[in-house]
Amino acid sequence: MHLIESLPAGIPYLSLIWLVPLLGALVIMFLPKEQKQAMRIISAVVATISFGLGLLVFFAYDPNAAGYMGTKMQFVEKLDWVPQLGMSYLVGADGISLPLIVLNGLVIFTGTFISWNIEDRVKEYFVLLLLLVVGVYGVFMALDLFLMFVFYELAVLPMYLLIGIWGSTRKEYGAMKLTIYLMVGSAALMIGMVAIYVVGGTFNMVELSQRVFSLEFQKIFFLPVFVGFAVLAGMFPFHTWSPTGHVAAPTAVSMLHAGVLMKLGAYGALRAALWLMPNGAQFWLPGIAVMTLMNVVYGASIAMVQKDFKYVIGYSSVSHMGLVMLALASMNETALNGAVMQMFAHGVMTALFFAVVGRMVYERTHTRQLPELGGLMKVMPFAFVVFIIASLSSMGMPGTAGFMAEFTIFTGVMNQYPLVAVVAALSIPITAAYVLRVGYMAFMGEVKDPHYHDLPPLTWQEKFSGTVLAIVVIGVGLFPSIIMDYIATGVQPIAQRMIDLAGR
Amino acid sequence: MNFQIADFTRLIPEFLILAIAALVLLGDVLTRWSKGKESLAERTGEAIAMTLMGLGLAFVMVLIQGGFFSWVQIGDWKFYNFSIFQNLRTSGLDGSILGGAFVVDPLTHIGRLIFIGAAFVTVVLTGKAKPSNNPAEFYALILFATLGMIFMTAGGELIMIYLGVELTSIPLYVLAGYFRRDPVSTEAGAKYYIFGALSSAILLFGMSLLLGLTLMNGQTMNATPTSLSSVKTAVELAFANPEGPSQGVAILGLLFILAGMAYKVAIVPFHAWSPDVYQGAPTSMTAFISTASKTAGFFLLYRVLVTSFDAPSIMGTAAIGVPTSFGGWTSLVAILASVTMLVGNLAALPQTNAKRMLAYSSIAQAGFLMLGLVGTQRDSSVSFLMYLVAYTVTNLVAFGILAVVEDNVGGTDFSNLNGLGRRSPGLTLLLTVAVLSLAGIPPLSGFFVKFYVFIAAWQEGAKWLVIFAVSNTVISLYYYLRFLKAVYFAPAETEEPIKVGFGPGIVMTALTLLIFGLGIVPTWLYGVLEQATIRIGAR
Repeated sequence: MHLIESLPAGIPYLSLIWLVPLLGALVIMFLPKEQKQAMRIISAVVATISFGLGLLVFFAYDPNAAGYMGTKMQFVEKLDWVPQLGMSYLVGADGISLPLIVLNGLVIFTGTFISWNIEDRVKEYFVLLLLLVVGVYGVFMALDLFLMFVFYELAVLPMYLLIGIWGSTRKEYGAMKLTIYLMVGSAALMIGMVAIYVVGGTFNMVELSQRVFSLEFQKIFFLPVFVGFAVLAGMFPFHTWSPTGHVAAPTAVSMLHAGVLMKLGAYGALRAALWLMPNGAQFWLPGIAVMTLMNVVYGASIAMVQKDFKYVIGYSSVSHMGLVMLALASMNETALNGAVMQMFAHGVMTALFFAVVGRMVYERTHTRQLPELGGLMKVMPFAFVVFIIASLSSMGMPGTAGFMAEFTIFTGVMNQYPLVAVVAALSIPITAAYVLRVGYMAFMGEVKDPHYHDLPPLTWQEKFSGTVLAIVVIGVGLFPSIIMDYIATGVQPIAQRMIDLAGR
Repeated sequence: MNFQIADFTRLIPEFLILAIAALVLLGDVLTRWSKGKESLAERTGEAIAMTLMGLGLAFVMVLIQGGFFSWVQIGDWKFYNFSIFQNLRTSGLDGSILGGAFVVDPLTHIGRLIFIGAAFVTVVLTGKAKPSNNPAEFYALILFATLGMIFMTAGGELIMIYLGVELTSIPLYVLAGYFRRDPVSTEAGAKYYIFGALSSAILLFGMSLLLGLTLMNGQTMNATPTSLSSVKTAVELAFANPEGPSQGVAILGLLFILAGMAYKVAIVPFHAWSPDVYQGAPTSMTAFISTASKTAGFFLLYRVLVTSFDAPSIMGTAAIGVPTSFGGWTSLVAILASVTMLVGNLAALPQTNAKRMLAYSSIAQAGFLMLGLVGTQRDSSVSFLMYLVAYTVTNLVAFGILAVVEDNVGGTDFSNLNGLGRRSPGLTLLLTVAVLSLAGIPPLSGFFVKFYVFIAAWQEGAKWLVIFAVSNTVISLYYYLRFLKAVYFAPAETEEPIKVGFGPGIVMTALTLLIFGLGIVPTWLYGVLEQATIRIGAR
């Protein structure tokens, strides 16, 4: 008997996952503002509960069972919302969304602990952080295009305030740039959604995926939907908001932003664009594959020359997300598997990076300029260890999560566009170079500033978060099948539909 | 044709407002009549109390008449059920009265609710304003204007419509210039008056052309020549014979009416008066003018266009391309909509005064709203009306918060908003919600209605307009975010908390909940509005 059958029925598991943080946000909103510790604890508790629920659903999911309307969707909940316009509250989870739900739970779980030292306007901070998380959860489980869009915007907007209030380095500029870019993306998306609704008559993505749009329609409207989401995934030439935003954001927000928010883009592109309009994808994606090379190689090269520690990680995200987009553009099953795997792997790894850079290093040294850092290994060995673990994953070292992901991606891309794969592979040595470069500059050598010896030691919250993330990076690297099996069952129908409809 | 005694019951809300207005004026004389400070405060309080009671009573009356209350039979028991969430009943006190001059239908009921509600909020907001010379005048004028708006919405013939327009405008001119010693307010009043008079003349000229047309066509035997249905017949006759001279007259009449109303609702290129008036008028009055008066204008426009000009040959289409061709009044509306939102948005960008920026934002919102007017199919009409409801609620909150801030801080520049997030988190939250709703961020009502008008306009074929409008939302986001920047990012000059009065606090909170409600559960408005569009004859 599979775990799903032993769970009590009638409980809206998926809805609970996002309702719990929302409830937490509401509770925090009504606390008096002096109760800072209570707010942190509530935030940690709801993050833990939703993470736990996510894990529960993850392990209860039965990859072999059939789900909602012939798809693999399980835990489906459906409520009419605006029946006159074919909108419904429809959530469900399959092998693609489940790892991402868990990822989001993991990042907010660790992110809350990383945010423990926020002292300024604690209340607003945790409320916004939890709202952001609600939005992200919602996108990963929504099966209704409109619902997905609502959650998507809910995930984007708190970023503006989070960066603008608690950020550093040119925070207002970064916040405004990020919001405007993402809203341009969602504007494109909105046009696509309106068009899809008017032709399809519903926003239910499962229903929409079971009808075939005309070739002409797909060719026109694939682009706005795909690009709308791809902006959030940091696709060239719409990527510049991402490093700026990463750098300006407070640590936990960087973690969420690079760790899960950018995955929203890739996930949405896969779910809404590739699933619903496969012919449009076949028309546009070869061109887009070439564009993503810019992300992969150029992003990595830019990371190489940065002086700001956080900018290095920011551009490495551009490069790694470029790999995801490249894999999506390759459209075959292997590549898509790799794309989802990379989303997960990069999410954990980059969250770890930002935890180290933003919290452990910057909050103590108050500088992120690489020439001013140095020798930190002697001062904070723990930070160095987890940083190296994240670096290894970033380089795609076997035994870490990144290896499995990149290997699968390159295999898939090789089948589709061999030449592109060769060029993209250039990013591997470049990545190794810049990661080792920053690792060397920040951690090795002599201690640059004598004050560094007096830095306060790492707190247990920081160590805890770092350890959890590092364990996941290595654990998934050693046992990739934990999530690879799920991903394969989720990706298979999309890839199959791509093949079925090819050559129309 | 004659006034029947049965008509009286259908006009109860209007009579009630009229009576209260008279009572407010009379009561002022009977209260301690002096210019002393205490006496003025007492007179103000009395006028406010009476106005609020009257408006509240009228509101409940409309709820009852509109069928929002109904009997529910369960077994042997009958319950009085309050069902604002349900559709309007089609029975009840509906009908055209006074020979068709005053139409009581769901649209009128909705209009009454909006105007009376907006007037109520406005009066609550004035609570902290300094008592002026003769406070009762102020409140009586608000009541008269409210009455005029109802006539605008309910008018079924041209003369009633015109009277409604004037009855709305003239009190508003006075109210906009109410701070006589403040040159900005005086300028607002004067400007509003001059522009308003001009637009009334244009409107009247258009009406006279249409009246000429109906008389020329001899449609006077059984119907009032000025009624909208006579106009419809005459216009369609004129269009049936494209070679004849009367088609030109019909088009001119329509254009003049459009232009005249475009002034009233501040559509580009007839918008120039509105930023100055909005900025100069007392902030509570700005809230009233920018919501209720604009909504009334759009209701009027909607009723006239859908009742009299809905023949396909006159409507044309806003779609570009084959087989349809661009033309008719819908295409004109589409062009006006695009220009309005663009100009409103671009002009809002460099503003440094929050009130003035909201004025330009209101212009831009009118542009988005008109996407629902590029056709008369069900979705277009419903989305159009829903947009107006959402816009009214949201703008009332936005201007209402500014009014509270102005009372406490003394200005409405962005610098006055700086650090509001620390000084009054609650107020700031409400302002944030309102501004984000205007910007169209889910799950707020502003998002849903915007999305809905996009769908509607796309269905009508105006795809270019939808794409243009969507791009405009991005521009608008930039200046709406400036509010958040001021209240959250900028440091406060003082940390001194802002005191929000009990009345404004409650009303603003309730309206903010409504913003959420309309966004998350838009269906409960859908039924009412659909009923309204069906009754008015939208297809």
